Amino acid sequence: MSDDFTVGRCPVFRLFLVGLGCLCLSYPGLAQPFRPVSLSAVTVRGTAPERFLAGQKVQQIDSAMLAQFRFQTLADALAMTTPLALKSYGDGQLATVSFRGTSANHTAVLWNGVNINQPMTGQSDFSTLPVVGFDRLSVQFGASASAVGSDAVGGSVLLGSTPDWRVGVRSSVGIRAGSFQNHQVQGGVRYGLSQKSNWQFAGNTAVYQNQLNNRYGSTQRRGYFLESAETRQRGLIQNLYARNQRSQQLSLTTWLNDNDLVVSPRDMAGRERTRTQAARILATYETDRTTLKIGWLRDVLDYAKGDFDNPSHSRTDQFLARAEREFDWTLNARNARLTFRTGGQWAHYRTQVDGYGGQLITENRQDVYALTRLVAGRWAVSANLRQAFVTRFSPPLTPSLGADFRAVDRARTSLTARASAGRSYRVPTLNERYWRQLGNPGLRPESGLNLEAGLLARFQPNARLLLTADVATYRNRIDDWSYWNPDYGYRVENLQLVVARGFEWAGTATYTTTHWQIGGRLGYAFTRSSQERAYGLYVNDLIGKQLIYVPIHSGTANAFVQYKKTRLTAQMLAVSRRYVTFDNSQFLPGYVLTNLLLEAPFRVGVVRGTVQGQVSNVTDALVLNVKRNALPGRSFSINLNVSF
Amino acid sequence: MKNQLIFSALIAVLVSACKVSDTPPSPYEAGAYIINRGNFSDNNGTISYIPTSSSTAQTDIFNLVNLRPLTGGVQDYAEVDGKGLILVDNSTAGQDKIEIVEVGTFRSLATLAAPDIENPRQILRVGGNKAYVTCWGATGSFANFYPNAGYIAVVSLTSNTVIKRIPVGKGPEQMTLFENEVFVGYTDGTGEKAITVINLATDGLKTPAIDIGTNGNPVGIDANGKLWVYANKEMIRTNPQSKAIEARLKVGTHPSKSPSSIVQSPDKQQFYFVYAFYDAADNYKRKGETYRFKIADASISSTTPFINRLFEGLGVDPKTGNIYAGVVPSYKQAGYVLRYQPDGKLIDSVRAEIAPTKFVFK
Repeated sequence: MSDDFTVGRCPVFRLFLVGLGCLCLSYPGLAQPFRPVSLSAVTVRGTAPERFLAGQKVQQIDSAMLAQFRFQTLADALAMTTPLALKSYGDGQLATVSFRGTSANHTAVLWNGVNINQPMTGQSDFSTLPVVGFDRLSVQFGASASAVGSDAVGGSVLLGSTPDWRVGVRSSVGIRAGSFQNHQVQGGVRYGLSQKSNWQFAGNTAVYQNQLNNRYGSTQRRGYFLESAETRQRGLIQNLYARNQRSQQLSLTTWLNDNDLVVSPRDMAGRERTRTQAARILATYETDRTTLKIGWLRDVLDYAKGDFDNPSHSRTDQFLARAEREFDWTLNARNARLTFRTGGQWAHYRTQVDGYGGQLITENRQDVYALTRLVAGRWAVSANLRQAFVTRFSPPLTPSLGADFRAVDRARTSLTARASAGRSYRVPTLNERYWRQLGNPGLRPESGLNLEAGLLARFQPNARLLLTADVATYRNRIDDWSYWNPDYGYRVENLQLVVARGFEWAGTATYTTTHWQIGGRLGYAFTRSSQERAYGLYVNDLIGKQLIYVPIHSGTANAFVQYKKTRLTAQMLAVSRRYVTFDNSQFLPGYVLTNLLLEAPFRVGVVRGTVQGQVSNVTDALVLNVKRNALPGRSFSINLNVSF
Repeated sequence: MKNQLIFSALIAVLVSACKVSDTPPSPYEAGAYIINRGNFSDNNGTISYIPTSSSTAQTDIFNLVNLRPLTGGVQDYAEVDGKGLILVDNSTAGQDKIEIVEVGTFRSLATLAAPDIENPRQILRVGGNKAYVTCWGATGSFANFYPNAGYIAVVSLTSNTVIKRIPVGKGPEQMTLFENEVFVGYTDGTGEKAITVINLATDGLKTPAIDIGTNGNPVGIDANGKLWVYANKEMIRTNPQSKAIEARLKVGTHPSKSPSSIVQSPDKQQFYFVYAFYDAADNYKRKGETYRFKIADASISSTTPFINRLFEGLGVDPKTGNIYAGVVPSYKQAGYVLRYQPDGKLIDSVRAEIAPTKFVFK
């Protein structure tokens, strides 16, 4: 265990405590009045690939909506606000995603521009990514390998940290108490400082601890088990930023997370512990045209059953460096502007996993890419190209082309049409390549081709009412889809051909008066994803069948009424049946899950805050998870956030 | 004539009225229950039913009447004096159970739960309203999978409760009843070296055990009253009375293949078995065939397959001698049951559910 980091023992953590101490010691200086320095010329760039994804759909989750999930995980936030299908093993347990009918390792998860999917499994456990860990969340739909890299086959989830440059110190504390003896606490400090010498500093430090005991008080619900499981999650976020008037910006972002799940905790012989720990540190230097980034990512996974002293241990380190340079040209009198961004990334992986034999395995992954964006009149066009190089593996060249066309562009009405085509790839997971006997070092890259088109309309008939609608349709064909083939003792092979096609619709409406605001968002997704290749005697039973755990129909609804700052929100998620077998002979039934939230502000002296009450699963719906256990029925929580 | 007609009509009405008051015929009269083990962590085992005269299986018959699934893998099923007992193995410790159902309808009558039942493996009727269930207890991690001694849960169908636990070795598996004794074997990798003997009169261990020198499981009593045990690629013929080992027959000659799914013919004169291995030279594809041997054979040959096909489970219909063979294409799609005549001729192929591996005949 000496190799592991734990939040308390980790030297990195100690370093940051020291750093935090220094900042606190210098706090009296901050109380002095500082004249704000104008740094409006500075643009923050570099981390967001959206700029070069013309023709593709991006959904931003707004900060008000995100704040409602501040005590929940990314899994909860995405399920309730996007068409992504979450596959959950239970409360506080593994939650993976299917993006537009693809599998869990076809979604890239980027944190400040860097892929943080766990390299052993090539996927993220969204239950271990608490919403408190990031400031921005957006979802980019469809393949974007050319801009994002590996894993962006179905789409990408983009998490980001945002500096708050305001001068001063702002602290906040939040606590939450809920049904089933669940309690959570989080605290943070944001600080900003300006100096006459043109430099401006900002930073935030936050810690969180979630203790989800899940004492349901009953072991069964309507003939299904309520599985006993406890999760303790804790973490630290430490972000520091500095910028000057010469458009130079330095940032150091850190996220440490420790997730400790025990299933059947009171059964000393049969209890199962899964502990996942992640350390993510990135240092970035940016100017208007140049971005340099270095980072270290560590993923540790320990699994034990019964005796927790000798777990099966996995550890992967990733060291990365990235350099990007951007060029701009104005092309002609019509103000056409061409932006060209080129860059390269080098990543060195070191992995030691009991299941691979326990020896150290290293590999290098390099990417070179060129991204272009042309804006001319009503058109925005992107053409991108990426080539990755991986030790003992040959990823394909991945180009993409996309365009946005503003068909209607008036003050009150706009209509933008978009279309794109792109190839995608996925570097096989370390498990797929190195697992003893079952892994296959000879795996070929999966080859994806994503085509999509969409329309975005915005209509504001008057100052009070705003309506938007977005429709999208896509076809994503992924060949050589790797598969743990039961016919070959579950060895992984490039075997299948999966075609995912679908349609998405989302609409928002907001009506605002002086004190009142009423609004909502409705989303619907039709997802048809199936395996199309015959490769064995009984495969005919699977051809054309819906992929497992991918609902054909899903919908989300989010409606709110707000008076001044008191807000009542209803969140609804409706999901059609999810097949659990490849031949669609068995399924988990569809469900409608509804949550209600009431949020109200208060102020006591200098302390401001909000109190939020939440009723989860209001209708007591029966929702089954992957292990065919029931999620709990109606439950309650109250949380209190104060800032000073 | 008119009176006769009225009389006949009256009789007809009375007869039909009588019929209405009869118990409706059970849908599970003559046929086979298929135990579909399910995929471990999906907890989706089921029992389906194939009538002898039909090529279509009725799926998930427990859910059909109880409107809830079994919520676990299904390990075994047996009928004991009008009650059926389904052994359900959930992937989470503490969620295993035995569902007790009414024979004929499959209506749930009672549930035996953890900690009485933990990792149930096999059930055997040992007397009137009495059954034994081998249980592993809680299992551990891969490195130490059997940290605990197993036990036999003694189930009373009079009270629908576990009335006693008989402690046995690690990983108890198959049982065979002979006169007033039950022979208990153990699964591979437990280090147990003997077949445990249990005295039915006392529900306690009896000595001596049958020392076979390695992990082994009883397979059945043959036509000559001998107990056959399978252990480490050998069929061992023992005398159940004296507990003496009479013969050890090596199964086949292939260096890598080993036998599984060993079942007896109705006349107890021969055994059928699947003989298979994972071929390292072909990406660990599982390969094998189905063979048979007679109890009088001096050796067990693997030269000529009885059925040139690999199965994950076998069963023999005691009434017809037909062989039921389970095909598991994967644990994520429905399997098939292939039915063969006693001479090895294929009758039909019936689509079942996930991992059809055991059969219980009516």
